[in-house]
Amino acid sequence: MNEARPADPVLVAERVTKAFPGVLALDDVSFEARAGEVNALVGENGAGKSTLIKLMAGFYAPDSGEIRVGGAPLLADPAAAHNAGVATIHQEHHLVPGMTVAENLTLGRWPTRYGFLSRREMMRRAAAALDQVAPDLDPLKLARQLSPAEGQLVEIARAIAEESRVLVMDEPTTSLSAREVRALFETVRRLRSRGLAIVFVSHWLEEVFEIADRVTVLRDGRLIGSRPAAGLDHAGVIRMMVGRDVEEVTTASTPPGDIVLDVEGLTREGAFENVSFAVRAGEIVTLAGLVGAGRSEVVNAIFGAEAYESGSVRLAGARLPPGDPNAAMAAGLGYVPEDRRRQALVPAMSVRSNASLARLEQCSPGGFIDFAAEQRLVEEARRALSIRMSSPDAAITTLSGGNQQKVVIARWLACEPKLLILDEPTKGVDVGAKAEISEIIVRLAAQGRAILLVSSELPEVLALSDRVLVMRAGRIAGELSRAALSPERIMTLATVG
Amino acid sequence: MSAKTKTGPLSPRPSLLRRPDRAAAAIELLQDLGLLLVIALGAIALGFLSPVFFSRLNIENLLFSSTIVAVVAIGETFVILVAGIDLSVGAVLALSSVLAVGLVNDYGLPPAAAAAVSLGVGALAGLVNGFNVTRFQIPALIATLAMMTATRGLAFIYSGGQNIAPVPNVYIGVQAARIGGAPAIILFTLALGAVAHVVLTRTRFGRSLYATGGNPVAARLSGIRTNRIVILAYMISGALAALGGLMITARLEAGAATAGQGMELTVISAVVIGGVSLFGGEGKIAGVLLGVLLLGLVQNAINLLNVPPNYDYLVSGLVIAIAAGLDVYRRKYVEVGLRKRSNAAGTEPRK
Repeated sequence: MNEARPADPVLVAERVTKAFPGVLALDDVSFEARAGEVNALVGENGAGKSTLIKLMAGFYAPDSGEIRVGGAPLLADPAAAHNAGVATIHQEHHLVPGMTVAENLTLGRWPTRYGFLSRREMMRRAAAALDQVAPDLDPLKLARQLSPAEGQLVEIARAIAEESRVLVMDEPTTSLSAREVRALFETVRRLRSRGLAIVFVSHWLEEVFEIADRVTVLRDGRLIGSRPAAGLDHAGVIRMMVGRDVEEVTTASTPPGDIVLDVEGLTREGAFENVSFAVRAGEIVTLAGLVGAGRSEVVNAIFGAEAYESGSVRLAGARLPPGDPNAAMAAGLGYVPEDRRRQALVPAMSVRSNASLARLEQCSPGGFIDFAAEQRLVEEARRALSIRMSSPDAAITTLSGGNQQKVVIARWLACEPKLLILDEPTKGVDVGAKAEISEIIVRLAAQGRAILLVSSELPEVLALSDRVLVMRAGRIAGELSRAALSPERIMTLATVG
Repeated sequence: MSAKTKTGPLSPRPSLLRRPDRAAAAIELLQDLGLLLVIALGAIALGFLSPVFFSRLNIENLLFSSTIVAVVAIGETFVILVAGIDLSVGAVLALSSVLAVGLVNDYGLPPAAAAAVSLGVGALAGLVNGFNVTRFQIPALIATLAMMTATRGLAFIYSGGQNIAPVPNVYIGVQAARIGGAPAIILFTLALGAVAHVVLTRTRFGRSLYATGGNPVAARLSGIRTNRIVILAYMISGALAALGGLMITARLEAGAATAGQGMELTVISAVVIGGVSLFGGEGKIAGVLLGVLLLGLVQNAINLLNVPPNYDYLVSGLVIAIAAGLDVYRRKYVEVGLRKRSNAAGTEPRK
């Protein structure tokens, strides 16, 4: 490891900008990782943290600006970044499950002697790598037998080569227990004391304040501030994270009717625990929180896409059997899932076929498709939701994201659902379509339908919700009525609990 | 069609919206006709090389010999459309063949009843395949490989490895029957293709099949009972393979346990050459029939040009590789053309 005086900037990002089609992911952001310092990178989902990390790891090149490591410009090549001393621990794990810790540590660089694998040399290198991070771990253990925490340590050991100067960790604690987090932090502190610059991404503010020397906040792709942790508190960081102009509030403001959906004690080990709430007719209830809080899992379970272990779901008083989407549909549930491409669209089919998919049975009396009825369904949807398409027979993939989403919504409206679940309905759609979809949601509630919304975007949550349930780590951390809504309150519940 | 989806729905090309429907239809037609073009060129070349190629007898022969593969391929299409694969069709065909003759000769069943049992056994094999693939989550390749081996074994056990003859007279009659001057078998195969086409394009089951193959998660979340659809697809494949067994019985004038060995590969080649995506959700019966025709043409050429028998497999293999390669190339070309068009359209000022 290099000799670097504390507070020396090792990695410097200078005024970097990075745009993707339709999104300005990073806008003129400057950032420093200093030797012997843990810099926590925080921000809402979509604030630009992942992009910044991928720039540091050499996956992308900035559109403008520059990243330097030890004074030399960083090339947009992961191998080059690694050689320059930037070690990155990604969210996904990259261990080969059927190989030992030692084999994983020397993956692809297995030492050989006379062309044959040299076991002794491999063990020596493995021991050297583990020495810094997890000296007690057995190098002959198979990767698949490791706990998530041990796997993490092996990844860290593999990532930091002798000449590593920066360690970037993207949400390293998400799958770890509290005890494992403490152990990980001990390792992080040890590495810090050896002069590594550490960049640490986390959603949990307690963790941030426990480990970080410096907190850097991003919002909407811009740098909001980078300050010593000692001078900050939770409230201050949250204000930096959310402090934006809140958009004009539109409100459904229909007096809520009878209870339509009643969820009680819904639990699935490791995903969500004891989730209870109700949604009334004409009411928009939003599950807010950060990605990974268990919101999508809960609505998935309510619709029956996945099973749950205990608890109950009632629709208009009748209990829904777990894990049976057909029963949920028959009872009057509609579900616009989060991942449009994976869960909602059939890409090889036309707009018409996609729109009628949930109404196939009604559109095909006697088994033969009634193309005229299908056509009426599409035309009605096109009018009601102003879907822009060249023709109902066009491939669904030729539509823009927003119009694809409207087709999915149309699919469910054709079923006249009592309760419509919308999971991140405006994800990946442009600003105009976003506003239209929001309008549609408000209109549906005004017509007396119950709406269960999942949204990670604070402005959307604030604009649409009659009531907000904030989830954190699989539980409902708190409930906010419309009158009590504020970005700070939501973010506090989401990050602190 | 597959060329369009390769780019994925999350990389929309908005300018495509402006593409007139007429151009889209033309491009799609070109994609469909590509295979026809290859067949036509092949036929013209063969016509020059062999004077008898365009004789009525030879054409009839070519079509007639393609019927069995065509019937089995139609069944296989249903399975491949739901992103499955059925390797057991050749073996099911053989078991159907020995049962259809054996049950008549050994147990005195009426030929029609024996044929019905054969078809039922085929469907049952499909049911087991479908169940293994859906309920037990066994990969289709393995599940149907096991079925193929076991079924072939049953055929051998039942027949003792011997051809079973004589076949009931009705088989010989059907084989020779002509309607309006054309062999009835050929017309029947075309009719079956038409029925399959209607089922796939105009019924709820067909639509569900495409949806299940195109995106099983979305289909399930839209209320389609995808497991049921997949099982039905395997049952259709099994039943049509058994039907192919009846047809081969008529042609061989025997129930043969060795019939249809390696046929699954020919059938799958034909389906894939015919434009059905192995990833499921895309493909048409018309394309499959053309795929069968192309393979029939190759076999016909081998016979007409007196290619030594030992070269048979090598030539077939090369032709399959070339046809599949050309098809990929053609699709790519069409897609590139499409993109160029749309880019050009995008730069034009919009009216």
